[in-house]
Amino acid sequence: MTEPIVSTPLRERATKALGDRFLHEALDIATTKFIALRREAFGNFPEGEHLRDRARAIKEATLQRLDTHLETLVANVERLGGHVHFATTAEEARDVIVDIARRTGARMAVKSKSMATEEIHLNEALQAIGVTPVETDLGEYIIQLAHERPSHIIAPAIHKTKGQVAELFSRELKRPGLPADPEVLTKIAREELREKFLQADLGITGANFAVADTGTVVLVTNEGNGRMATSLPRVHVAVMGVEKIIPSMTDLAVFLAILAKSATGQKLSVYTTLVQGPRRPGELEGPDEFHLVLLDNGRIAQLAGTLRESLYCLRCGACLNVCPVYRQIGGHAYGYTYPGPIGILLTAMLNGPRSVKDLSHASSLCGACADACPVRIDIPRMLVELRREVDDKGIAPWTERVVFKTFARVLRSPRLYRWGARIGRTAQRPFVRGGRIRALPFFFGAWTRTRDLPPVAARTFQERWREL
Amino acid sequence: MSSKTDFLTRIRTEMAKTRGLFAASSAERPAQPAQRLDLLRRELSERWPQTLERFRAEFELVAGVFHRVATAAEVPAALERICRERHARKLVAWPAEDLGVAIAPALAGAGIAVESMPRAAVADTERRRLRGVIADADLGVTGADLAVAETGTLVLVSAAGRPRSTSLLPPCHVAVFDREALVESLEHLGLALEAWHEGVPPAERGAVINFITGPSRTADIELTLTRGVHGPKEIHAIFVDGGLSRHG
Repeated sequence: MTEPIVSTPLRERATKALGDRFLHEALDIATTKFIALRREAFGNFPEGEHLRDRARAIKEATLQRLDTHLETLVANVERLGGHVHFATTAEEARDVIVDIARRTGARMAVKSKSMATEEIHLNEALQAIGVTPVETDLGEYIIQLAHERPSHIIAPAIHKTKGQVAELFSRELKRPGLPADPEVLTKIAREELREKFLQADLGITGANFAVADTGTVVLVTNEGNGRMATSLPRVHVAVMGVEKIIPSMTDLAVFLAILAKSATGQKLSVYTTLVQGPRRPGELEGPDEFHLVLLDNGRIAQLAGTLRESLYCLRCGACLNVCPVYRQIGGHAYGYTYPGPIGILLTAMLNGPRSVKDLSHASSLCGACADACPVRIDIPRMLVELRREVDDKGIAPWTERVVFKTFARVLRSPRLYRWGARIGRTAQRPFVRGGRIRALPFFFGAWTRTRDLPPVAARTFQERWREL
Repeated sequence: MSSKTDFLTRIRTEMAKTRGLFAASSAERPAQPAQRLDLLRRELSERWPQTLERFRAEFELVAGVFHRVATAAEVPAALERICRERHARKLVAWPAEDLGVAIAPALAGAGIAVESMPRAAVADTERRRLRGVIADADLGVTGADLAVAETGTLVLVSAAGRPRSTSLLPPCHVAVFDREALVESLEHLGLALEAWHEGVPPAERGAVINFITGPSRTADIELTLTRGVHGPKEIHAIFVDGGLSRHG
């Protein structure tokens, strides 16, 4: 289980986000740009649609034989001289890494961007034993200096202005008077982080894929921090959800052809790094030790669960950019590690359906996410199933359940329906403002606080039909 | 910590619940990848100029600088020009055997010091010294095991004599390659990777294989594209028409 990051209700978080004008503008610019880049990349790539189907089929086929692929992967990583660890919970994953850090006498860890290490809240655990974790992806570095959380899967500092970054760097890095110029600020980060890379004992990364056939862990970055973290420190630890396994190098080529196009519109990210164990004899650089931590944290239970399809996710962020809800409220308002439409499903996977009692409704079910997803995950279908689960398990408030049960009965009986429409027409009168019902009294108010309702029509369709 | 057995048992228990629920759709690996790659290379030798042209176009799209020389003997002069334009004086390079061309003697004549990476294991003190040298270099010179036309990507396999950071720490990276390295697509790259891993003992495979597509970049501050965040700010590729010598 992963604990939530914030404890205020979704309603408050969303209201706060909606009131932040800069956030709104930044989200709008970024998501619009990402959508256009993605569209252009696939527009120039006619085989893309076929490759998306293939990638989806590979993910499904891999899940069907996950045990075999996992055994192959483990055997191959070990044959190459690496160590494999199995973590059922976030706590177990943290313990494994903390043990490695202790045993190797590590003082500083450089981290390449990884959602899996965010998910298990690794940084706090490292700090607790006196190891300094340093985020090295520029966006993540900014977020870490500001003591904040990422707001987008692939653009973590999307919510910060260059002015804010200049101020932050000036204060935190004790370099007063830095200009609000991304070029200068990036250069400063390069200098600061270059030192850290050369000093660090531990390199911690996630993994975009792991190829079972060859025991290869694959990292995709644009900045080169993944390469740094796997080349310079004496120990490399990669943390990866079990669902990231793919069978072969042939499959890898299929995924690489669609991943960057979906995320940033690049044909390929700048660096794709295939890590195959520790430094070979005679090699000048590379870690003496390589560890792969395989993470369950709720994933395995979904192999036969309602959220199975979300195990296909490549973490490209395409569904965030097209989501009308994400575009309005941004990543922080979701309140957990993974934002956006897929984030709701992943949150439910990691923390159980209770955690998405409200979040499962933070979607208009428009289907844009399923269209944008490189592996065509049917996110809306699973959101609907989550809503049902929230209801079936009695997680939703009893008032909501009673109201919907009553509503369902009314809809099933023509007589009750006619009767209900007649009562509704009269009862709604005090509440209709400008053709919408904007606020209802008592516990009904919880529903209209974030939604307008269309009023019951003055004459029902059936009444009009009879007069035709 | 959980054991491998616990982990696999839980996976199998869950998998058993889904039997028959999902349509099976297994992914295919190519049979005999090495032979297929050979065949592909032979086909490619008929139309390599088009493939090279596509590589050049894509490489330039990702901000790479493309150079072309007639023979390996002209490589040092091309490097010297790149150095002079950037006032670069300190080079680190793969050794002549891995590069396929000797560059140090000619460049020394032009006052540019080249530190060649050792092909054999060295003591820890020497390793530390060399790391400092690479980190301090103005330019890193490497070969390329593959050049992928579809994406303008250079593929580098690490090994003794081919340290990973030669193409990473210096602000400018120059890769030297020839026809042999050219492949057309990511699909062919997948095939080459299958072939490399087939029948080769794990210890002889590179510990790291890097696909490099342009200079290091970020857009993390207000989506402003900035180059050279951790890796090189510049990347060059020198294509040698007459080919490089291969020692292996």
